[in-house]
Amino acid sequence: MTEILDGEIVLDPTLVAPDTKIQNYMINFGPQHPAAHGVLRLVMELDGELIERCDPHIGLLHRGTEKLIEYKTYLQALPYMDRLDYCSPMSMEHSYVLAIEKLLGVDVPMRGQLIRVLFAELMRISNHLMNVGAHVMDVGGLTPILWLFVERERIYQFSEAVSGARMHAAYFRPGGVHQDLPAGLAETIREWAAQFSNVLNDVQALAGDNRIFKQRNVDIGVISAKDAIAWGFTGPCIRGSGIPWDLRKAQPYECYADLEFDVPVGNNGDCYDRWMVRMEEMRQSLRLVEQCLNRLAHCEGEPVCTLDRKVSPPKRGEMKRSMEALIHHFKLYTEGFKVPAGEVYVATESPKGEFGIYLVSDGTNKPYRCHIRATGMSHLQAMDFLLKGHMLADAPAVLGSLDIVFGEVDR
Amino acid sequence: MSSTTLINPDGTALSRDPLSRDLAGQDQFFADVNSELSNKGFLVTSLEDLATWARTGSLWWMTFGLACCAVEMMHASMPDWDMERFGAAPRASPRQSDVMIVAGTLCNKMAPALRRVYDQMPEPRYVISMGSCANGGGYYHYSYSVVRGCDRIVPVDIYVPGCPPTAEALLYGIMALQRKIRRQGTFER
Amino acid sequence: MSHLPQIPGNEGIAERASAILGPDLIAATEVVGELTLTVAREAAGSVLQQLRDTPDLSYEQLLDIAGADYPERAERLEVNWHLLSLKHNRRIRVKVLTDEVKPVPSVTALWPNAGWLEREVWDCYGVLFEGNPDLRRILTDYGFEGHPFRKDFPLTGHVELRYSEEQGRVVYEPVKLKQDFRSFDFLSPWEGQWKLPGDEKAAGAGGDQKAEGDQA
Repeated sequence: MTEILDGEIVLDPTLVAPDTKIQNYMINFGPQHPAAHGVLRLVMELDGELIERCDPHIGLLHRGTEKLIEYKTYLQALPYMDRLDYCSPMSMEHSYVLAIEKLLGVDVPMRGQLIRVLFAELMRISNHLMNVGAHVMDVGGLTPILWLFVERERIYQFSEAVSGARMHAAYFRPGGVHQDLPAGLAETIREWAAQFSNVLNDVQALAGDNRIFKQRNVDIGVISAKDAIAWGFTGPCIRGSGIPWDLRKAQPYECYADLEFDVPVGNNGDCYDRWMVRMEEMRQSLRLVEQCLNRLAHCEGEPVCTLDRKVSPPKRGEMKRSMEALIHHFKLYTEGFKVPAGEVYVATESPKGEFGIYLVSDGTNKPYRCHIRATGMSHLQAMDFLLKGHMLADAPAVLGSLDIVFGEVDR
Repeated sequence: MSSTTLINPDGTALSRDPLSRDLAGQDQFFADVNSELSNKGFLVTSLEDLATWARTGSLWWMTFGLACCAVEMMHASMPDWDMERFGAAPRASPRQSDVMIVAGTLCNKMAPALRRVYDQMPEPRYVISMGSCANGGGYYHYSYSVVRGCDRIVPVDIYVPGCPPTAEALLYGIMALQRKIRRQGTFER
Repeated sequence: MSHLPQIPGNEGIAERASAILGPDLIAATEVVGELTLTVAREAAGSVLQQLRDTPDLSYEQLLDIAGADYPERAERLEVNWHLLSLKHNRRIRVKVLTDEVKPVPSVTALWPNAGWLEREVWDCYGVLFEGNPDLRRILTDYGFEGHPFRKDFPLTGHVELRYSEEQGRVVYEPVKLKQDFRSFDFLSPWEGQWKLPGDEKAAGAGGDQKAEGDQA
């Protein structure tokens, strides 16, 4: 029965629903979620559909890589790098071998550098193919990933042709690369490269210009240039915010200084810009691939690895004839090489951004300390910043645009 | 169907029209089923065979991508390898999936979650352990944070070796699981 | 021309830093073109702020914080900040020494991404960061004990996991390995070695020597 007490209306509780205190809602996104790109656990506090707070829990794929590396020789530790960012394995090896070469003071022959650049760029394409496709899939478009994975499969075949492994190649070695391109591979890559941009055009037409895709991504997860610097963004994420920072241009390694390519930048720093930067980077990588193939045609038969036998093993044919070569091979694969004491930090432009290796050597054949500067760590950390006030459905879009791979984040 | 003669590239006529090929000559099982159906209009089979046929034909797999192997698992379900040919389609929810592919390194922090997902799957459920890390720790066997084989957490039916196994190897693993289901052919698990 | 990353030289940076930092700077060393500033632990926060805010240095980006462990030193732990100047295209490393109890100033107020990086160093090395509002473990398991990257932490850890049918949950047990990790020491010199490891018959003294690789 409704009555009035001291001027205040008291409603009959049988007539109306009692006042409910609206509480924020906590949800667990992951650790097993198809849109989490791996094993991410996001603890989110929601106000209705709005994200109030987002606390990513990582470490669900923490494998102790850095600790294991300390127990292996330099060469034995190299394949751990492949398994960090498993979308672009050879790019991870790149920083590591450069760090060793910096301590050793070893030079890489030009053909070795060209092959490294060729495969680093193929890996960049392969990484972006996966990210671009998965990003579209996360916001509801299944078709592009099906097209893009056909191309990705081709890149795996190139990787298999050159190293014997589809993914974990262990192809970049201190002093160069493990072996020369097999006969005919250059032509195969050239044929593939000639038609590849058609697929990009198709994806651009289907997804990039799609109204729904734009609605899901434009002005979502915006980060300004100032914030991007403060949050330690690198790679396509910082370029999406309009800063033309690319280590291949700013601090050129290998023969990037001689090659022609452009650095695409975005304007708004939103998910759509990051996606578009990756699309354009694939086209630029294609240019680099073609330039490398042209140059490789002019240096057939030149060494692909340093001839310093204290670092790189002799060829098998040489071992059959020379006792010294046999001893070198045996020593390299049992004891490994000793690296002069010192500490270096070497970073390369991996497909996800600056991937750095802080390597401390104590003069023995094993690294004393190898810290891995994971690109995704800084990006993922900004999730809370990027998602605050967004809808829950925007979380996969933002996550997809940051290009997180947990092998690398958790190490 | 039109009865035009099909011609080989070298100009000779095809000995047999591929569109109306003699299925009985190629697949005895298919022929038997076909004649049974056309003669009687129904099939007689054991319930066990029927259940096995249904189980092997739609192995919906739980996408449990943990690490590197997850990429090969994705490749296996993409157009080039197309795992759905074998009725194995990806399924994001454990409640509706039949087989869990543990693809990648299982770490201590993730192990309780893996077990929970397994517990949520309905019977009969199968587990494929994909890659060295899931099989036994592999390259990370001696790490302080890695479970030395996912069979410490869940019972495993098929182990697929490799680091990572190629998409082809995973397909073979799926077929091996189908064979295993046919062979054991019981309702109990 | 070298194939390594081409970074503009660090000429004059060490002098400039020592002018700004004064007594806080303990040492400035440049090895293989990389400048390392070793600074006083208490002053690390202000040093990093000055490196960031001084216009002709302007190391705007904190890329990485790396811990390291040197058990033989009095202050065994080490923290390395890697900074990058986008403006001048230079890198620098700032180093402090600490131990298990002495806290290092946090730089979360300067760079928001320092939060996780510090959590990682705390998790892996047990370096305390004073002023970090959220110093939880980040990489290791929930309820993990110890700091795994310290040199005295065993590679295989202390516990391992198993699903217990009786308890119906995942349980921790002490590590029991079928085969121990074999760490081969190939440093045994091939040149100038007169006693072979394991050669007990050679003149008593070397008899108790055992090759380190034989533990398995």
